Amino acid sequence: MQEKLTTLAEAIALVDDGNVVALQNMATQAAPMALVRELIRQEKRELGLVVLVGGMAVDWLAAAGVINRLIGAAVSMEQFGLCQQYRKAVEAGRIRVEELSETLLNARLGAGARNLPFLPSRGAIGSDLIAQNPENLKMLDDPFGGFPVVACRALIPDVALIHAHRADRYGNIQYEPTVLWPDIGIMPKAAKCVIVTAEEIVDTEVMRRHPDRTILPGFMVDALVEVPFGAHPTSFFPNYGYDSRFHREWTDVSRDDEAVSAFLDRHVLTPSTQEEYLDAAGGVATLSRIEKWEKRG
Amino acid sequence: MTDWQNSPAAEDYTVDELMIAVLADQFRNGDQCCNGMASFIPVAAFMLARLTHAPDLVWLPSSGGLESRPDRIPASTLEAPLWRDSIMYIEQYSDFWNFVLNGRWIKKFCVGAAQLDQFGNANNSVIGDDYHAPRVRLPGTAGLADMGSIGKKLYYWNPNHSPRSMVEKVDFVSAAGYLNGGDARERLGLQGGPQLVVSNLAVMDFHPTSKRMQLRSTHPDVSIGQVTEATGFELQMPESAVPETRPPTQKQVRLIRETIDPDNMRKREFHRKS
Repeated sequence: MQEKLTTLAEAIALVDDGNVVALQNMATQAAPMALVRELIRQEKRELGLVVLVGGMAVDWLAAAGVINRLIGAAVSMEQFGLCQQYRKAVEAGRIRVEELSETLLNARLGAGARNLPFLPSRGAIGSDLIAQNPENLKMLDDPFGGFPVVACRALIPDVALIHAHRADRYGNIQYEPTVLWPDIGIMPKAAKCVIVTAEEIVDTEVMRRHPDRTILPGFMVDALVEVPFGAHPTSFFPNYGYDSRFHREWTDVSRDDEAVSAFLDRHVLTPSTQEEYLDAAGGVATLSRIEKWEKRG
Repeated sequence: MTDWQNSPAAEDYTVDELMIAVLADQFRNGDQCCNGMASFIPVAAFMLARLTHAPDLVWLPSSGGLESRPDRIPASTLEAPLWRDSIMYIEQYSDFWNFVLNGRWIKKFCVGAAQLDQFGNANNSVIGDDYHAPRVRLPGTAGLADMGSIGKKLYYWNPNHSPRSMVEKVDFVSAAGYLNGGDARERLGLQGGPQLVVSNLAVMDFHPTSKRMQLRSTHPDVSIGQVTEATGFELQMPESAVPETRPPTQKQVRLIRETIDPDNMRKREFHRKS
């Protein structure tokens, strides 16, 4: 088996300016935030972002000028509100949004994964999403005589960014049972290149004890990096919850460009390792707080 | 009659509690329900229905767990601990849609929208005329656009009934309602559609043929004039007199306050300035 273990810097060097990058994320859940920070540190430009429901990662990428288009179903930090930097960039025309419903995005990625020109959906018919997006969505008569469906053109991201619970050095990826596997069922299978961070790297023998937990085989994975708490400040069930304090610190500054710049400097540009990043976010006190999430309410 | 039905009408209640009781009444044993982001009112309605008239209402919290047992409504309706003690984790998001797109299950969906128009079309996408440089970029449609066109019955809740949220025509149709009214929906092969709009002032439904939104009941102490003034289009009036919305019972209010939502999460979406 081929070794896939590398560094954040080398992994993100696989991303070229202009690429379409698919990001695992669901509002405040499961974003590969260490990879997102590395995109900003390497000053990637003109990326297109594919995301089911984006959260703080989208706000940071918008603030840092990394993305100029977004393909997705929603962007929100749920209880922490709208992503203000993203919102401002869209309202100013700096980020072009291709809004898709959940089934339309799933169909586009499904077609990409299966090497089909398109897949149909019944979702979103009658909405303006279809007329707004003639390049990728077209009404299509049912060849078997039923009502029309929406043809959703294949979407093949250049790169998919994923965070997982566990991996071996050969890129076999394991995930703990959880309610939400935001977008990782189909997204990495549609992408040309898959970059994964994992909470821990373990011996392959450990993986063999639970093959049912392996969600991606090593041959699919191009680069792998060990990053404990790699989804912070988003949650990563069952390991840790979202960091409410950190989200509030961000939303407190996110309408003010100077304060945003200082925030990104402190939390994204200055820390050179994951340890330094976690220290800047409150260190051990923060980590033990977010690990207690199941005990809350 | 069970004790919650025998319980007298509450005198001490707030409008969020009334809205929860009205929405709870739409869900019955044998239904399946699911919820999305920041859906405190729908979640409270499901929990109330399960504690009263519909103990066998199936609930998929966060659209991903099954029959979980949260001890109260947490700060997120999309995350643990809402899915505490689920019987099953449903893979998001492909497998969840396999359950929903199949017409057999989850036939009702309870949801909010930034704008609703006279035909029940919903907007959660953009405010303003220019889609690519909008005045306000809203979160986006998420799964609502799908729910709007796959035969589901939609129950909208609106905590801030105003001419800004109840508009003649939405700036962008994120999810189909009755489109231009009449049989426009059927002509596209779409079944289901919006059934009810429960706001902080009134309950509305849709005229059977014109599909225009019409007043069904006004909440206690709210006049018809207050509702029409807060509505950005000509709200249709029913042929008979407009009744008062039935207030929640004392037992329902006690369940909401003490068991379902002691942390008052349900208040969060009310009176928000946008």
